[in-house]
Amino acid sequence: MAEHKKVLVIGGGFSGLTAAVETAEAGFEVIIVEKTPYFGGRVTQLNKYFPKLCPPNCGLEMNFKRVKNSGDITFYTLAEVEKISGQEGNYDVTIKLSPRFVNDKCVGCNACAEACPVEMSNDFNFGLNKTKAAYITHNQAFPFLYAIDGKNCKGSSCGKCAEACKYDAIELDMKPQTINVNVGSIVMATGWDIYDISKLDNLGGGKLANVISNMQMERLASPNGPTGGKILRPSDNKPAKNIAFVQCAGSRDENHLPYCSYICCMASMKQATYLRDQYKDSKASIFYIDLRTPGRYEQFYWKVKEDPNVSFTKGKVAGITEDPETRDLIVEVEDIMAGKKIKVKFDMVVLAAGMVPSTKTAKIPGDVSYTPDGFVAAASLKKGMYAVGTLKSPVDVARSVQDATGVAIKSIQSARR
Amino acid sequence: MAEQIIKPDVNFINDIIAAGGESVKKCFQCATCSVVCNVTPEDNPFPRKEMLAAQWGLKDRLISNPDVWLCHQCSDCTAYCPRGAKPGEVLGAVRKLSIEHYATPSFLGKAVASPKALIGLILVPVIIFIAAIMVQGNSFFPEGEIVYAEKFMKVPYIDVIFSAAAIFALFGFFMGVTKYWKDLTKNIEKSSNPWQKKVKGPMIAMILETVFEFMTHKRFDKCDVTNDRSKTHLFVFFGFVGLAITTTWAIAYLYGHEFFHIQKTFWLNFGESPYPLYDPMKILGNFSAVLLLAGILQVITNRRKNAEKAGSGSYYDWLFISVITSIVVTGILSEVLRLAHVRMVAYPVYFIHLVSVFFLFAYAPYSKMAHMAYRTTALVFAKYTGREVK
Repeated sequence: MAEHKKVLVIGGGFSGLTAAVETAEAGFEVIIVEKTPYFGGRVTQLNKYFPKLCPPNCGLEMNFKRVKNSGDITFYTLAEVEKISGQEGNYDVTIKLSPRFVNDKCVGCNACAEACPVEMSNDFNFGLNKTKAAYITHNQAFPFLYAIDGKNCKGSSCGKCAEACKYDAIELDMKPQTINVNVGSIVMATGWDIYDISKLDNLGGGKLANVISNMQMERLASPNGPTGGKILRPSDNKPAKNIAFVQCAGSRDENHLPYCSYICCMASMKQATYLRDQYKDSKASIFYIDLRTPGRYEQFYWKVKEDPNVSFTKGKVAGITEDPETRDLIVEVEDIMAGKKIKVKFDMVVLAAGMVPSTKTAKIPGDVSYTPDGFVAAASLKKGMYAVGTLKSPVDVARSVQDATGVAIKSIQSARR
Repeated sequence: MAEQIIKPDVNFINDIIAAGGESVKKCFQCATCSVVCNVTPEDNPFPRKEMLAAQWGLKDRLISNPDVWLCHQCSDCTAYCPRGAKPGEVLGAVRKLSIEHYATPSFLGKAVASPKALIGLILVPVIIFIAAIMVQGNSFFPEGEIVYAEKFMKVPYIDVIFSAAAIFALFGFFMGVTKYWKDLTKNIEKSSNPWQKKVKGPMIAMILETVFEFMTHKRFDKCDVTNDRSKTHLFVFFGFVGLAITTTWAIAYLYGHEFFHIQKTFWLNFGESPYPLYDPMKILGNFSAVLLLAGILQVITNRRKNAEKAGSGSYYDWLFISVITSIVVTGILSEVLRLAHVRMVAYPVYFIHLVSVFFLFAYAPYSKMAHMAYRTTALVFAKYTGREVK
């Protein structure tokens, strides 16, 4: 075999993992760089995901195993690419490794978190609850190591976690590191962020306690989420049985995201089934402009539609107010088919917020150009650097995986030159 | 629902686009607009259904649709529209076409709406006033102390010309509004909307309620995005009311003296103009002029400030704003220049003032000024049919 170089994968979500294992299993050395302390990306935060509606570990666990079993994959968490120079076949890449403050001796016993006096917002749960500064995001995290948040931790002056740890796993003096690698090709798989619902002022996003995003809904429904999988509304932790789903909350809107986020209609229908499965007397009301059910997902829509407790109303919700006493929400919409402006009360509202490419805010530090919305302009990419999945346009997990598999062969070709 | 046959009118769509509604096709019927609108009724709300009708060119559903005039172009809809379809601007264009549709004679409706005809429309009063000066044998730049009435344009000439213009305008309004009311009430019979059939209360009470409503701008004040427009419009509105009272008062001075031989009593200067500055009529006139100036300048700055959110307005809007600005600026300048004895400038400025006032009066039923007649009619009709905002 001809001499070949390594492949760098930026982002350890489903796309990045797929590209990495496919490439490695073809006999190429791969480096994966992941910004967070864990692998699996957005999929880990879901309760269930399409197309099979299985929990995240059903697909991820297999990929983690493939990563571990492959001798050719080097992976870094809490790592970010700082600089890329060179061209196809020969890239010099600078990677910054932030300290985890926890070494490989960690067994995940939770003693550090119990000892830690600092509380911070739980980003993994989209701020729905708090976590300690010594934490692990979820019970199936890979790698299964705790981490200490550098920004919130008081450092060695506190040191309570180090005292509590019986395994000598805490290293509060761990320093950031910079490493340089040379690779033949680069796969960009840095994924997406949920649209900031506080920008939707007329929908009360970020202002009204019981108006949440669809990703927050995933966490509420997830067994490893803040409520242990019970759908409870944030204001008073009462079961939320009457929920409105507001489609196109930010998407298809030139004031916010001028594109369709592809999967939100499906996500709301899926979440309606979470609710219906959990409470027998629950009601889900979906308000939409057009229901978009790409390809065979249409069949899922037929199934959901059969449930008499799931209603579909054509009309975009453009006003949400709160009853100050009950903290119930009053949703204002024109029921287009009835030709009436209506106000309806709900326990909780889920905004079907759209996908924002991570490159909208965090650009890849290399020769990459972007669309006005922050997606990687795939057509203008030079050979050697490849973007995957939601970096190019909003897609679901299945399409991201297909894309990543395809990109694996491209990255192999570039690494052989 | 009964089967309906829809006849799209492509020309009408193009007319809407040409009249400032170029964004009409962007609408994808999400109904954000109807929800954020504070002045729409809950039943059959606007402007979503109007946007659909506009996209299909359903002229008869728009031209005689009272909802088009219930819209005050707050631009709340335009600001929140996810597609930049600017419902506020589109309805503005429909209102323009509605005015044009009911214009009698119809060629004037088209002329006022078209930039090409502007010169011709201006030339009419220019020629009339030049002819009047020449018939009187007056100089265009009279010598000595400045007296507009005596040396430039005698009162009978002013009265005849403007009375003719006013009668012409009143005729235009009468014809237009009569036709409009006929269409409105005709639709009551045809309509399948239950709200269009309810008739309650005496008409006079509805008219009085409507008048009270626009005196206080109660409805206009519900706008959010361009709420400041309600205030500036109030300035302009009361500026005009003050100037109308001033004009009537001046007529009383003039003819009270001439026909009833009323003499100057206290500070009430019965007799011919110019009147001294301490005269209460003069004070009211000057105060109203300042009110109008402040109002119209604010209108201009607000329009520019809100352009991004609410659209920058059409030719039709700006023609109307320009005429009012011209009237108030030349009016104030005429007075100032007269007091400052700047003869060579004062007379031409006064001439422009006369032309501007004529323009506003004579073309009122065909310009945006006509909104006062059609909106009032639509508001009365809304009350008449119980179509009220709760």
